[in-house]
Amino acid sequence: MSTKLNLQQRESVLGWGLIAPSVIIILSLILYPILTNIFSSFFKVSLMEPDTFIGLENYRNIVTDGSFWRAVLVTFVYVTGTTIGTTLVGLGVALVMNRKFPLRGFVRSLILLPYVAPVFSVVYAWKFFFDPVNGLFIDITVERLGLFDQRFNLIGNPESALWVAIIFSIWKNFPFTYLMLLSRLQAIDRNLYEAADVDGAGGWQKFRYITMPELYFVMGSIVLLRVIWNFNKFEDIYLLTDNVKVLSVYTYFKAFVGVAELGQGSALVILQFALLVGFILYYVKKVLKW
Amino acid sequence: MKRVFFIVLTAALVGIPLFANGGDEPEKSSGPVTIEFWTTETQSDRQATIQVLVDTFQIMNPDITVNVIPVDENDMATQINAAAAAGTLPALIEAATPNTVAFGSAGLLDRSAATEMIDEIGRDKFYSGVLKLNQTGAGDGFYSLPFHGWVQGIWYRNDWFEKAGLNPPETWEDILKAAKYFYDPAKNQYGILVGTMAEAYSEQCFTQFAMSNNAGLFDKNGNLIFNSPAMKETVEYYAELAKYNPPGPQTWRARDYYLQGKMAMFFYSTYIMDDLALAEVAAGSLTAENFAELAGSSFDPDLVKNTRMVPIISNKRPAGYGTIVSLAFPDTGDSAKTAAARKFVRYLYSPNAYITFLHMAPGGMNPVLKEIATNPRFQQDPKKIFENYGPEKMAEIINGLDSIETFGIVDGKRIDAASVIYSKQIIPQMIYKVTQEGMSVDEAMSWAEAEMKKIM
Amino acid sequence: MVKAKSIPREIGFALLVLLIVLFAIFPFLQMLSMSLKYQWDWGNPSLIPTQLNWGAYAELLNIGQEEKHVPESVKILLEESELTRQQKNDILAKYKDSSDVFPFLKYFRNSLALAVSAAALSVFLAIFGAYSFCRLRYKGRAVIQRGVLFVYMIGGILLLIPLYRIAVALGFLATPAGTYTVLLIIYLVQTLPVSLYMLGNFFRTIPYSIEEAALIEGVSRFGIIWRIVIPLAGSAIATVFIYAFMIAWNEYLFASVFLKGYKELYTLPIGLRSLFVSKNAIWDRIMAASMLTALPVMALFMAIQKNLTGGMSEGGVKG
Repeated sequence: MSTKLNLQQRESVLGWGLIAPSVIIILSLILYPILTNIFSSFFKVSLMEPDTFIGLENYRNIVTDGSFWRAVLVTFVYVTGTTIGTTLVGLGVALVMNRKFPLRGFVRSLILLPYVAPVFSVVYAWKFFFDPVNGLFIDITVERLGLFDQRFNLIGNPESALWVAIIFSIWKNFPFTYLMLLSRLQAIDRNLYEAADVDGAGGWQKFRYITMPELYFVMGSIVLLRVIWNFNKFEDIYLLTDNVKVLSVYTYFKAFVGVAELGQGSALVILQFALLVGFILYYVKKVLKW
Repeated sequence: MKRVFFIVLTAALVGIPLFANGGDEPEKSSGPVTIEFWTTETQSDRQATIQVLVDTFQIMNPDITVNVIPVDENDMATQINAAAAAGTLPALIEAATPNTVAFGSAGLLDRSAATEMIDEIGRDKFYSGVLKLNQTGAGDGFYSLPFHGWVQGIWYRNDWFEKAGLNPPETWEDILKAAKYFYDPAKNQYGILVGTMAEAYSEQCFTQFAMSNNAGLFDKNGNLIFNSPAMKETVEYYAELAKYNPPGPQTWRARDYYLQGKMAMFFYSTYIMDDLALAEVAAGSLTAENFAELAGSSFDPDLVKNTRMVPIISNKRPAGYGTIVSLAFPDTGDSAKTAAARKFVRYLYSPNAYITFLHMAPGGMNPVLKEIATNPRFQQDPKKIFENYGPEKMAEIINGLDSIETFGIVDGKRIDAASVIYSKQIIPQMIYKVTQEGMSVDEAMSWAEAEMKKIM
Repeated sequence: MVKAKSIPREIGFALLVLLIVLFAIFPFLQMLSMSLKYQWDWGNPSLIPTQLNWGAYAELLNIGQEEKHVPESVKILLEESELTRQQKNDILAKYKDSSDVFPFLKYFRNSLALAVSAAALSVFLAIFGAYSFCRLRYKGRAVIQRGVLFVYMIGGILLLIPLYRIAVALGFLATPAGTYTVLLIIYLVQTLPVSLYMLGNFFRTIPYSIEEAALIEGVSRFGIIWRIVIPLAGSAIATVFIYAFMIAWNEYLFASVFLKGYKELYTLPIGLRSLFVSKNAIWDRIMAASMLTALPVMALFMAIQKNLTGGMSEGGVKG
């Protein structure tokens, strides 16, 4: 940066300099797989022999498969349910944890547990809890309270599995939302509330006119992230129920179970990507109004 | 161009020299070789025993280093696919035969090495039925070498059956009758466990019924004959049986309900001998102390004594089922590695090493070499399974290995497409649709048929 | 805000807190219960074990374990092999030494090292990156800002094979250090877009007036980042750190494929999984291992939280 850089140029150099390491790392690792995926989605890929070009055949197979569209629908329900649920629960908990009460620090750490424990082990704890033969849930609802007249498999049954998967995801991820919102809540200027008190505003009004506008932007981005994450979610769903066929599970079965069909899998990933991008563009335009 | 750019970029970024791993080095005739051995025996005590075998082998062959890597059976396909794509296949794998056959038909295995190895040991030393499961589609060789195997059967509460005056569950009729009789959900007691989840266990249970009803996937010319009256009858029967399962989709993990005295029958492999023996040991070591509580719990210390097994099911004809675990040489393209792997395999089949291996899970791991089955050292197993179940029962089980039937073998001919159907879990998905989603049998069968046709 | 204090409201509030806590931890109670039950007690739905069994914990932490019993078959094998006495003893000693069912501390160390370095690097790079695109103006900024997130949307498992292929081709997997580096970069890539995005959003809420004042006083941009932005964004940075940490801490698929050849580097999820696939009755040990995995992380976060959420509300953005 020797002599004649004006302010704007210096800013430009600094800006690129600061962002460059991140961009390079991301591009170097993500671009190659994406390009390979696009490339191999037009081929019949076999591991030991040369690939054969088959044009759009992979895509045609997928789009004409009814179960693919079912998976799209299930994914849509799952993503919508989990996103709304996680955000609402996270918001509620954040509001509660923003108040002072005894043992607050301890409680705050305790409710981080769902987020920090390995998926693998909490899944089995859930399964035990809802086990139709030995689980505490059935024991209480059926045997002690008589709420239902017979034992049932809440996690396994196809009708309830999707809803359990949604609740599980809410349970697992609300701490993250709550943390994000809490850190924003704590940054809100106390003077605003004091001023509102002077004006005689009620609790709801303060929430509606002070808290919500301050949270709006953070909420918007949390929702966006949650949509992206849950759209591609695999482990949480597959380990818990394995009969909730969202797109990622559908892809896993198509591409990885048994002999790998990488061409087909690649095409699926590309379609999945396209669907998500479409949705996000819509969301960004209509909801975030960028 | 772009690719090269990013490769260089990544390398430069992390400061690691390019071309550190040449891959295709010139063949070495001698000199030290390191090979990878992927095994599905992931349990830590088995790992320790395998390590002893490896250590002993290495002392006798100082030029060879064997690196044992545990790979879960369910991860095997993913791992092999990734390794094949990257050119890092191991020199030796131990995996269930349906898997090795699937890898073999995808061209990932060195079949001439396997075939030569079998000839070297002697084809007539193996049980012939077992060898057949490893044969190539064309019948000109073998994908892999059978190593050990388990037999599946219905395990049942003999004491309950006797008290109720029921016949042992050997025929379709008797099985269904008993399942109905013992099914009492109000008392939290269930009749039977058959697989209803979309995974391998369901196929294992189902296959045995299909075989006993003469219902196959293919005729001997390899034509798909799935949609037959016999198959439909089997699916209907299976769905009926599944009504007496514990609630919801079930898999082998529900065998715990049997150990807790909440179930009358369940399908399981002979590995349960090991598990049941364990339960007994646990109870035995505890009853000595203050164990009044045990009486009130559902655990039955006499469970092992009261448990019997039926390995063969009959309807139109008797049929048995099981799985062979095989050794296979993936095609590493490095003959020195394959040679080393063959040396190690030769060692594994030597009686001393072989029996040590099998004794890791007596009952579960049964020999595929005839002479080992009658070897007195083999019959003195550490967990006293032979003593508990008696040599006759054990002989029946081991002989059962020879009559294992699968959809992939028709009149002694191996049909490769069957292994792809197996690995794509089409039949388990069909079972799930019928038993859990309430799809009609006809509809589910035509769905399955369409899926199978797509594969072929 | 905390003025209206009627007793029923206080009780209602306490109940609400209790409800939240119960909702968050009920599976952990189940886990704890299972880890302390004997096998014969597993059919009992109650969370309270009929009789306490500490065996699983003792076994996992390798406390008071008897010397490993050498099975007859192993003894005979060694007896009948042509080895020297010394060699036999060495092999036996190695066998006995392998008695760790679940080398918890080793796995824990590996996971911790990987997760902490991935999270720290991710946060470090993201602070500068996010600052760059929310405070500095230059060409291409908008593209990067949005592109970063779009790139991230490509779904999970199909990245595996291309990445593995490239890592092998570059020779990374030939050494433990290389393998470790690759995995670290992968976790970094998985977390960076989100770290950038979240921090960017947060930085934007910091009033620019504070920075302007500092700039006029001649503080450099790095000085601003270090002395103004980082302290003010403390809790957001902590959240991002936790996020990145958890991704690396829980990741199974990539770790299992990349680390396969190096048992010394195995992480907790791989360890848990390998404990799980042993087909014998192991629920007590799995649940105990899960508890042992969750507890230290919780302690870690308790410590982080205490330091960070406190300073936030007082340090204030009032300026």
